[in-house]
Amino acid sequence: MPAPTDTLNGPPLAALQSQMAAALLAADRDAQALPEDLFAGAHPGAIGLRVHRNTVLGALSNALRSSFRSIEHLVGEAFFDRMAVAYARAKPPQAPQLDAYGADFASFIEGFPATEALPYLADLAHFEWQLDELGRQRPDGVSGAHCMLFDTGVRLHFASSLRLHQSSYPVDRLREAILAEDTDALAVLVHELGRYRYALWRGEEGVKASPLGAAAAEFLGAVLRGAAAEQAISAAAAVGEAEEIAGLLAAEILPAGFLRIEAVAPGTRN
Amino acid sequence: MSESSTVDPIPAQAGIGLRMPHHEQVLATRPRAAWFEVHPENFMSNDCALAELERVRANYPLSLHAVGLSLGSAGGVDRAHLERLRQLRGRLAPGLVSDHLSWSTQGGQYLPDLLPLPYSEEALGIVCRNVELVQQALGTAILVENPSTYLRFAASVIPEAEFLAAVARRTGCGVLFDVNNVYVSARNQACDPATVLADWCAVLDPASVGEIHLAGHAIVQAATGEELRIDDHGDHVCQAVWALYEQTVLYFGARPTLIEWDTRLPAFEVLQEEASRAQSCLDGNARRAPAHPARASHRAQATHAGAH
Repeated sequence: MPAPTDTLNGPPLAALQSQMAAALLAADRDAQALPEDLFAGAHPGAIGLRVHRNTVLGALSNALRSSFRSIEHLVGEAFFDRMAVAYARAKPPQAPQLDAYGADFASFIEGFPATEALPYLADLAHFEWQLDELGRQRPDGVSGAHCMLFDTGVRLHFASSLRLHQSSYPVDRLREAILAEDTDALAVLVHELGRYRYALWRGEEGVKASPLGAAAAEFLGAVLRGAAAEQAISAAAAVGEAEEIAGLLAAEILPAGFLRIEAVAPGTRN
Repeated sequence: MSESSTVDPIPAQAGIGLRMPHHEQVLATRPRAAWFEVHPENFMSNDCALAELERVRANYPLSLHAVGLSLGSAGGVDRAHLERLRQLRGRLAPGLVSDHLSWSTQGGQYLPDLLPLPYSEEALGIVCRNVELVQQALGTAILVENPSTYLRFAASVIPEAEFLAAVARRTGCGVLFDVNNVYVSARNQACDPATVLADWCAVLDPASVGEIHLAGHAIVQAATGEELRIDDHGDHVCQAVWALYEQTVLYFGARPTLIEWDTRLPAFEVLQEEASRAQSCLDGNARRAPAHPARASHRAQATHAGAH
């Protein structure tokens, strides 16, 4: 195959784009440069490259900023940009839908240098990503995919967006305190290391997070795995006192807003 | 909106780039606007925003202005992204679909910028191949926009206007003529914007121009002291660009004209004011304009010096 006719004036386009992409994402100053004889503009090519680098990294930082509001609030804009740029260089997006960019940002910033004083940072980021993902879903009501029939003739319909989230910190209250700049509350919450479980779902009026006890979380986990009512109750009973299960479920699950209760007439219980 | 929805053509009037912070106001008050344009990539992973956009679309003509097709990628167009755009087009029935004369995808990575191409024979063949692929998949001609440029490749042997005109001629695509980008690129390459505009008008077939863009830009000082114009869509359209726009409408005739504003987004009413100004220009100059008035005279004096 003959070489492209332009190779005398520069590398083939594929090679040029590969070099330029690498230069734009490079952290090392030497690796950011391309040979100046590639360019013939009024300004050195390095100036134009810097404009493009700023645009690329700025756009990626802004995409992450909109998904991780409380993280930026907590660490400040400049430090957030440091984390975002490091992430962008390590894991640039693979598709142009930037609102879906950042799925593993939370894992990336776990142990990020100079965040040792914020051991809850990654937990908070994981939680915030779940909220962001749900926020991009359409409100689905509670007529969704998960339902469960009880012998008593009651059928529970759960929101199809429903998901469980576990954390080592009270991330819902941490997030609220950070966004409200409530430093007193934050100072207390950061010491409340434990096991926290949440039901998350997309309601008509936005994303909801409801704290759950261990038994309720086991019950909902079974629901989401498609278990029958008896199995779900057994799962809940395995981590709680059997006689308290009904009360726990009634207290934590029924009022939460992610389910609808339907009375099923005899003969229609399929 | 279903796949069988009717396409509302984009009128030759001034429209507004619709951004998410304005969705609620547009839905609640149904403000005066001839048409809206959105970036489809913002609605491909956001069903909530898409539901809002479908409600907007029920009341206004809509144009889809993509930023992620990467028409200049040597590696070709991302088929998965193209399929997402095809599906969105089916749902929204836009009057126009467009993207840029640039690249943003390389080796499976997406770099969110409109990266420049060397205007070479090789690049021309690649862009044409990609545009044809996109048009085949979408079942419609698209518009391709001239980008703002901040550097120029030594391998650019074809003037930018001729390059885009050739893409349009070979593929049947239209041109989205961004007046602010002409201005920004000209200034960044130390050229006279009016001369560069004349070059464009001498080369482009007016019939191929399907839309015009207007936007504001920033002026920054590079560390080395050079002044650069940055196409950040973060300000009012500057006076010099309004003057070029007037000439553009005289050259090409009245075309759908979009006010783009992306960063430091102002109140919706500010965008309406900018659109009103563009509309006045369209009304005044389109009436005065003979068919392709300046085309013949500029063809005679056009040079490619400075145009890229």
